[in-house]
Amino acid sequence: MKKSTILSVLFTMLLLLLAACGGNNSSQSDAPTDDASSEETSSSPSQGGEIAIPIVGDPIFNPWHPNAYAESNVVNRILFSGLTKPGKDTAPAPSLATEWSASEDGLTWTFKLRDDVKWHDGEAFTADDVVFTFNTLVLDESKGANGASNFRALDEVTKVDDATVEFHLNRPWASLPAYLGFNAEILPQHVLEGTDVWNNTAFNKETPIGTGPYKVETYTSGQSVVLTANDDYFLGRPNIDKVTYKILADVNTHIAQAMTQELDIFSLEDTSSLERLQNVAHLSVEPRNVTKYYWVAVNQNNPTFQDVKFRQAIMHAINRQAIIDNILKGYATIADAAITPNLETYYTNDVAKYDYNPEKAKALLEEIGYIMNSDGVFEKDGEPLSFQFDVAVQGDLVTIAQLIQQDLKAVGMDVELVTLDWNSMIQKDVVERNYDMMMNWWTYPDDPDVYAQYHSSNADTGNNIPNYKDEEMDRLLTLGQETSDPAKRAEVYKELQAYMAEQLPYQYLWYPQELVVINNKLENVPELNYGGTLHYINEWSIKQ
Amino acid sequence: MASFLLQRFWQSILLVFIVSILTFFLINLAPGGPSSMMRMDATEEERQAISAQLGLDKPVIVRYGEWLGNAVRGDLGDSLSSGQPVIQRIAERFPHTLQLTILTLIVSVVIGMILGIIAAMKRNRASDYMINFIAVIGLSVPSFWLAIMLILLFSVTLQWLPSSGVPPEGVSLWEQIKYLILPVIILSTSTLPTIVRFMRSSMLEVISQNYVRTARAKGVKESVVIYWHAMRNALIPVVSIVGVLVPRLLGGAVIVESVFGWPGMGRLIVEAANSRDYTLVMGVTIVVTLLVVLTNFIVDIVYSKIDPRVKNF
Repeated sequence: MKKSTILSVLFTMLLLLLAACGGNNSSQSDAPTDDASSEETSSSPSQGGEIAIPIVGDPIFNPWHPNAYAESNVVNRILFSGLTKPGKDTAPAPSLATEWSASEDGLTWTFKLRDDVKWHDGEAFTADDVVFTFNTLVLDESKGANGASNFRALDEVTKVDDATVEFHLNRPWASLPAYLGFNAEILPQHVLEGTDVWNNTAFNKETPIGTGPYKVETYTSGQSVVLTANDDYFLGRPNIDKVTYKILADVNTHIAQAMTQELDIFSLEDTSSLERLQNVAHLSVEPRNVTKYYWVAVNQNNPTFQDVKFRQAIMHAINRQAIIDNILKGYATIADAAITPNLETYYTNDVAKYDYNPEKAKALLEEIGYIMNSDGVFEKDGEPLSFQFDVAVQGDLVTIAQLIQQDLKAVGMDVELVTLDWNSMIQKDVVERNYDMMMNWWTYPDDPDVYAQYHSSNADTGNNIPNYKDEEMDRLLTLGQETSDPAKRAEVYKELQAYMAEQLPYQYLWYPQELVVINNKLENVPELNYGGTLHYINEWSIKQ
Repeated sequence: MASFLLQRFWQSILLVFIVSILTFFLINLAPGGPSSMMRMDATEEERQAISAQLGLDKPVIVRYGEWLGNAVRGDLGDSLSSGQPVIQRIAERFPHTLQLTILTLIVSVVIGMILGIIAAMKRNRASDYMINFIAVIGLSVPSFWLAIMLILLFSVTLQWLPSSGVPPEGVSLWEQIKYLILPVIILSTSTLPTIVRFMRSSMLEVISQNYVRTARAKGVKESVVIYWHAMRNALIPVVSIVGVLVPRLLGGAVIVESVFGWPGMGRLIVEAANSRDYTLVMGVTIVVTLLVVLTNFIVDIVYSKIDPRVKNF
């Protein structure tokens, strides 16, 4: 299971070795600079050319399919369109819908749709497609659509006319427009109605019909998906003619192919090759903000972890800055709560902070009745404070978990690290909730609504992983969903963050920055995170 | 001969059956389930809905019975992760693995024989030591490390060879060969050293036999002695080792295909196991088992043809 780590280390060593052997004739002259980008070409972007993007597995061309994971999302994002998309300012921006408004009671949302959109097969897009997507696929619980649980507040979608739909909710939900731009693309009724949608392989695996800027030309399992520009795209034909998604399981291959100009843009998960990539003349590595935070969680169904002082002790025990500096190469900031700094309207820094302070951690444990024994381990009522810490083999997580384990041991907690493959971790920790402490991350739309991960109704079986149940937390989460005025909403969420930082339902680790590797031949790529900027792939162009 | 073949046939059927039972229960008893149910943000309702759709709410023994019933009729079911027929998913990938393994086998056998003969003929001389040294290195060095090293050297630094993938359609033969060079070299490291060592010891044994000495005494040319009299008999054990090497090749393909982005069965079974795609794991395992069984079957027949001692079993 450690193979990927070993590979990364070896790869880095070899890169450094080769770097030392010279061969780097880079002059950074053609790397984009602030000056260059500020000279924003007033002329129209160049047309033509092709680019290649890596994905790690075979995609499914259907954003709602239960098996559509990350690698499918980045493809589906440019094949299909949602009613909205993440805006460049993080607020939801128009896509298939041009405008939207909520009723006075917040229970009905009206979306005006574009009337100039065609599916890839030439049929016109209408309100019927929106109704079909939600009523037939998303709201049918027996189908288990990917992401359907995000729409629990939605009862049904009705058609007002060909270019207007209404979303009827069972409770006010201010973040509906944001969620409609979060892997919630619209599917064609005329193609899928009456078929077994999840098993419709002609659509899901061969020739999907979307409304997006690109359409599938060829798909070869295990090799590539070749897409060509959609001449009829409603925002105008994309500038780049062809986009090839190469299916490459090994991330080291992504790095090698970026260096040989066989790949043009991707998100760098592993920072071990960062310096080498930064020294390649034709590449830029750009840090981008992303709505994501990493956490550890202690199971609140276990009485050991229920005292807030215990959770605060964990926060003081973990040297988060050391993790950021040493493992993440500085591309992250310490996290205090669930709302990420890029959501500027809602984020606040004015919350309780937990510095790295092992002595304070020990003092907090003593306050709640723990006594250090002769082995240097805290105990209470003769029971040593020992528990298991589960981590999935994923990216840098195991390495970081080892550091956290050391930090916790240093303050007298007897922590045993248990590494699991992803699938086993989900089964044990998420499905069965059979864990003491675990580590993972949450990513969510550019909206502060984190109801799903914190509300007590989602404890034990939903996304509330720590099984945290707290009336005040529930009140603030509900109030946030009910408040549509941005200024008032911001107040609610700032209060919520303060409460989170104080109560620590999760123990917050860091807000990561995503590192996007870009071939300098690409221009007009909006400065959003990798996933976000794909929504604007029609604007990208290739330098002549 | 016929009774031997019939006996081997029934043994093979039994073996495939046992492998199918073991695989089915092992993969089904592994923690977790199909990836569609194992998303971090899936809710319990979603998991149960998907489980019911995939028929996973039935007991494992019942599901095995259903799978076996369909499999004997040639239906390996649909992949849980893509909904496509398992046969189709295997058919997409099988030719790539076959191309890689057959080519590697040919390269390994030809080069392995030549090096083995040279090592035997130059016994205890510099070239013998050198060949043995290279064989030991080949067996010892982890293939994924060597693969990355070669990618860095030939693809990134020298830019002579493609770093990964299969050749696009319609390119020249030389371009196609370029895509195969690195994967075949790496995969050969798991087979070539074995063939070299077998060939060497087998050759040494043969050239010490009386009939070789007699041939030399009769003044037969050395090349005829070696390549006609000695090599034919020295080849016998090498043929038998091919049956052992095929499973090793298929195992090696898992790593080689991952590193080189080669869309074959090795990568497919890793993807299937990781995503708990039970039907696809079963399909790939059965096909690979049949392949191994068939290879050994062929080896037995060839062996019986070239070794007079086992001709009349």
